[in-house]
Formats: sequence, C-alpha cells, structure tokens
Amino acid sequence: MSKGFTSSYRLILLATTVLVCFAGVGVRLVHLHVLDRERLVSYVDRARSSIARQEARRGDILDARGDVLATSRTVIALGVDPQSLKPEDEIKWSKLAQLLELPLSEIQTIFGQKTRSTESGEIRDVRWVKLRDGIEESTYLAIQKLKIKGVYGNRSYRRVYPRNSLASHVIGYLNRENTPSGGIESFANFYLKGQDGWMETEKDGKRREMAQFRHREVAATAGYSVVLSIDSVVQHLIESELNFISETYHPQKATILVSDAESGFLLGMANYPSYNLNEYGKAPMAVQRNVAVTDLIDPGSTFKIVAASGALDAGLVTPETEFNCSIDSIEYRGRVRRFMPDDHAHDHPLSVAEIISQSSNVGAAQLGMKLGEKGLYDAARKFGFGEKSGFQLGYESGGLLNTPDKWSALEITRIPAGYSISATPLQIHYAMSTIASGGQLLRPQIIREIRDEKGEGVYSFGGVSRRQVIKPVVAQQMAKMLMGVTEDGTAKGAAIPGYQVAGKTGTAQKLIDGQYSNRNHVGSFVGFFPASDPRVVITVIVDDAKLDRGRLNYGSAVAVPSFKRIAEKLISYLDIKPAVLGETANYAMRGPAQ
Amino acid sequence: MKPSSPHAFINQLLVYTIMMICVTGSVGLGTVWLRHQISEIANATKGMERDIAAIERQIAESTARLAAEESPKMLELKNEVMALGLVPPQDLQIVRIDESPEERLAAKRNIEIFAEEAVEGTAAVRFSLNSFR
Repeated sequence: MSKGFTSSYRLILLATTVLVCFAGVGVRLVHLHVLDRERLVSYVDRARSSIARQEARRGDILDARGDVLATSRTVIALGVDPQSLKPEDEIKWSKLAQLLELPLSEIQTIFGQKTRSTESGEIRDVRWVKLRDGIEESTYLAIQKLKIKGVYGNRSYRRVYPRNSLASHVIGYLNRENTPSGGIESFANFYLKGQDGWMETEKDGKRREMAQFRHREVAATAGYSVVLSIDSVVQHLIESELNFISETYHPQKATILVSDAESGFLLGMANYPSYNLNEYGKAPMAVQRNVAVTDLIDPGSTFKIVAASGALDAGLVTPETEFNCSIDSIEYRGRVRRFMPDDHAHDHPLSVAEIISQSSNVGAAQLGMKLGEKGLYDAARKFGFGEKSGFQLGYESGGLLNTPDKWSALEITRIPAGYSISATPLQIHYAMSTIASGGQLLRPQIIREIRDEKGEGVYSFGGVSRRQVIKPVVAQQMAKMLMGVTEDGTAKGAAIPGYQVAGKTGTAQKLIDGQYSNRNHVGSFVGFFPASDPRVVITVIVDDAKLDRGRLNYGSAVAVPSFKRIAEKLISYLDIKPAVLGETANYAMRGPAQ
Repeated sequence: MKPSSPHAFINQLLVYTIMMICVTGSVGLGTVWLRHQISEIANATKGMERDIAAIERQIAESTARLAAEESPKMLELKNEVMALGLVPPQDLQIVRIDESPEERLAAKRNIEIFAEEAVEGTAAVRFSLNSFR
C-alpha cells in the first residue's frame, strides 16, 4: 500500500495548520458576526446605508386647449469647490463666465477664495460657493462639457409659468418653499403634487451610490395635470381689454368674466391690477387677490333683473304691466317711501320691459314693493346673492344681503336698484347667467378634467346646476326685455349688427367715508349673446374709472364699449353664429329648460 | 480487505480538504462573478435611468420654452416685430356654411368624376351637371 505522497509528520502539521487557520477564521467570524455585531452593523449603516428621496414632478396646469399654463422643470444651482480646482482648467474660466453671463473678474474672485474665517477666528477651507442659481439644463450641459474640475450643480424642480401674468389670479403660484399660494396651485394641490418616492441604498467610500445594493425602491409618482376651462385666447383677449381700460381710464380696479352660458364653465377670468407669476415676490398681496371673488361691490342696476324676474315669476306682473315712474315717493305699508331718483324724467308710464331697458330706479322699487320684503329677499337669495357660490378658488365672499327684519324703511326702494346690498363680481355674473341658461343658477366652475402623467383622463367635471331659480318662460321674457337694453335702452353701444345682445348696465355710487359719492362710481355691464341661443355671458366691471371732460363712470361709458369689443372678437374665435330671427327663436333657452 | 492505515486516512482527509477548498473557492469566485454581474447590470440600469431622466428634463425644458413662445402675447409681439400684418378675421370676411362640409366635398368630388366620364362618353347615364354646381 502506498504511504501517501508525504510523511505523516508533515501531513499532521499541514492538517493542523489548515484546521487552525479555519478555526482562526471561524473565531474571527464569530467575533465579527456575533460578539461585535451591534457596533459594526451600526457603523456600516452610518457609513454606507442611505435613504435617497426621489422628488415627484408636480403636474402641469393646462388651459382648455391643452396649452401649458404652469409646468415644472429642473433648474441647477451651480457652485464651485475651490479646493478641487486645477490650474490647467484656468483657460476655460472665460468660457464659463460667458455661459453664466458673469464678469470673468467675479469668477476669478470666487475661485480664488479658498479659505474663510469663522466667527471664532478659525480658518476653514471653502468647499462650496454658489456661482449662479436657476441655470437651465441646456446651459448646464454646455458647462459640463467644459469639464472644469470642482464646478458642479445641484438640481431641483422649479415651477415656471410660461405665460407670465396670464390668468395669474386663477393659477396662483408655488413659492420658493414649494408651498402653493392661491388659485389652482393651492386648490388642486392634492392632484398636482404627486407622491415622492424613496429608496434604500448603499454608498461607497467616495459617497457614490452602489446601485447593486438598492434594497427597497418606491418610485416617485408624478402629479396629475389639471385642465382648466380657461381658454388662453379668451383670457388674453380680456386681459388686453383690461390693459386698455387701465391705460385709458386709470381705474382703481376692474374685472372681466366670460363664461359658457350652457355649462357655467369660466372661459376667462381677469382682474386689474394683475401680476407676473414668475415674479410673484414683487407683487403686493393686494394685487394677488382675486377681486372677482373676494371684493364686494354694490351691484347697482344690474340687480334690477332680480326684482323684475321675481315679480314675473310670481305672476305679479307681465312685461307689459305699466308703472308710473314720474313720481318721487309712494305710500307703502302705511308709510311714505321716497324713491331714488331716475336720471331723467319719463313722459309716460313705463312697462316692466321699459323699466329694465331705461333702468328706472323708481320702476324697480315698485317691482320690489310688488314682491314685498320677503319676496324680494327670497328672489335675491335664489339668484345666489348673500351666499357663497361654491367657486373653488380664492377666499370667496358670500356678499352682504340682510334679512328683511334688519331692513330700514328705505331699503325696499334701494335694494331693487342694487343698493344696500353687496355682491362679488362673480355673483353678479352668475345672476345674469341664470337668465341665459333658462332660469338655472349654475355653479361657477373652472376645472374641466384631471389627467395622469400620460395624458389619460382620470376624472372629468361637468356643468352643475345649483337650482332652478325662475321658470324657463320667465327667463325667455327676461332675455327679450334685456335685448331692449341694447336696442333702445341704456346700452345701445353694446349692440352688434346681426346678433341679439341681451344685457344690463349698472352704475353704483361708491360709499366713501360713509357717504355715497357723486364722483366715484362702479360702472358695469353684464350681458349674454346671442339672446336666441346664448353662447357666452360676459361681465365687465370697472371700479372708479377716471373719464376725461368730467364725465362720470357710468356703465354705459366704460363697460359697454369693452363688452362690445370683447363680444366681437369672441364671435370669430368661438364661431358664434348670428341670431336666429323670427318666431322659432328660443330666447335664453338651453338644455333642460327647452 | 486491507485495513486502512492512518496515512491513508490523512491522505483522504487532505484530498477532501483540498477538494472542499476548491469547491468553496469555485463557489466563492462564482459568487464574486455573480455579484460583479449584478453590479454591472445595476449600474447599467442606473445609467439608463439617468439618461431617461435627462431626456425627461430636456422635454420639460422644451415644453416650457415652447409654451412661452406660443403665448398669445409673444405671438402678437412676433407679428409686430416681423411685420407680418396678421389680424383676426372680421365678421364680414367669414362665410358661414350651414350644410355638412363632408357632403359638400363628396358631391364636388363626385361631380368631377362624373364630368370626366361624361367627356369621355363612358357614362351609362347622362345628366346635366349644372344643377349640382
């Protein structure tokens, strides 16, 4: 038998050595994995483990045509580690300065500053100095191509508003802390913000991620996009008109609203003054307020539609019922009540239709008296005055409409003419929209659809009727009477040949220092067209316009011409067809009201 | 059968030990290779994710830039700067057609086909085209 290939002594020595080695390794392993485990694991965790947060991309805000109104894109904060700079890169500094649009001397100064002294007088190395913030990807790519060691950037998402001030009060903005402020940004934040992702991973000694050690990974979910009913072209159109008004009449503020007569969706909502969303920091808070929903004004004569509609709906009058409007007072409930005077005398009794077209305060007051305090109050409430409309954006005011028990003796003559009551421009707009939609009070809406990252619809919103305010037949009668306003009434300037325009002017004296001013007015015009088949409702409200030659800011002077200019432009843009004339016309009738 | 000597046992032990070292070594090397491959694939995936993210960033930047260029205010400015003289259509310039444009275009196309046949004399039925014009 063979003795083997080695001697027994050597074999035993070799076997013992191998076993000792194994035993040594075993002991060390037990030491590392059992005895010293806690300390080592915590050290490794500290040194290698990291939880990386993945920021979710915020969804876009789109207009009705899918154009981007707000989007998120990355920007780079570029900086330098002066300790890592190499002398051979110095020739590239001038090119870097050119890309950053900074003087070369500034770059040289920053790059040369390698140490700094702390408050305690200690000298420390400078490891990071910011060169510029908000650098675009394309510029950063060019900088990276220069390959300057020590120059690098940190990415972050920034909200951008490509159309600057367009629909600023509607959109709102995201501030530097990524906190939404106002508008859709704030209201639809739940949809827009998305869900941040995270992953547990490990890093090597140079703090580079070791991708193979990603343990758990939850991908970031981008936010949904919100599609508005606002149309950029309509919005631009009304903002241009506001610019014209502000340059010509220097008003304190002004509002223009355009909505779809059938669904109640807003196509445009603009206020003066406005601000640039990309420079929100420069705009005072007062300018950032959406005055169309927050500020209260006396509706003035536009409110006369409430008294007339209420009386017609209750069957107390017909459009032909006449009232003596040449009187200055009347006895009501055993007391003499003085009317607010009309602008001019009337040589004959006015029918209800004429009260509307001539905007008679005396006639409106008598309509109010026909309804009585409770009837008038109920009619106003039904039209949405004194309550919030449910509009999603801004801090909506519900307006001011006292209950009849708080009315003074004079208020039955003042309220029908639109005084002693306050409303937001939005409430005034939707009160007129009620006539256009066949008597339904529609909910003001601005969000059309929610879309996911791929552009697929997640949820669509439709028009919502809040309630039936007046009978459809009464809405028809009202629409016909309101056509009289532009045909031979106070707003002849709003007439558009071939189109039936219905509307109502309003002029309210402003309350200044507790007294109604004779010089300061809120002029307005609220109308819709074509009256036979309403497509759009337009409201123009101008607060305290300064007209030349001492003219006053009546609704007919400033708001009516603006209404006409906007309407004419909308005709071609929205392809609004001329009126259907004759017996077949369904005035102010849409949808279920037909 | 010969009884096994201590030498034989040690030899056997040594062979098994060497075999075990070889197997363990092979498994170890295999594991290292596998881990290296995992690392390579993970890094490649990470690289692709980085590229996709970079492209998405560029798309977002282009979208924002495009949206700014397409804004009504910018288009009006370009119209002015480039002296294009573009204006919105006036109502007088608009001709409204109540009939269906599809049917109108189909009728027009059919007239052209039948007209060719009429000229060539291949049409089985003759008719006047004037009534369709």
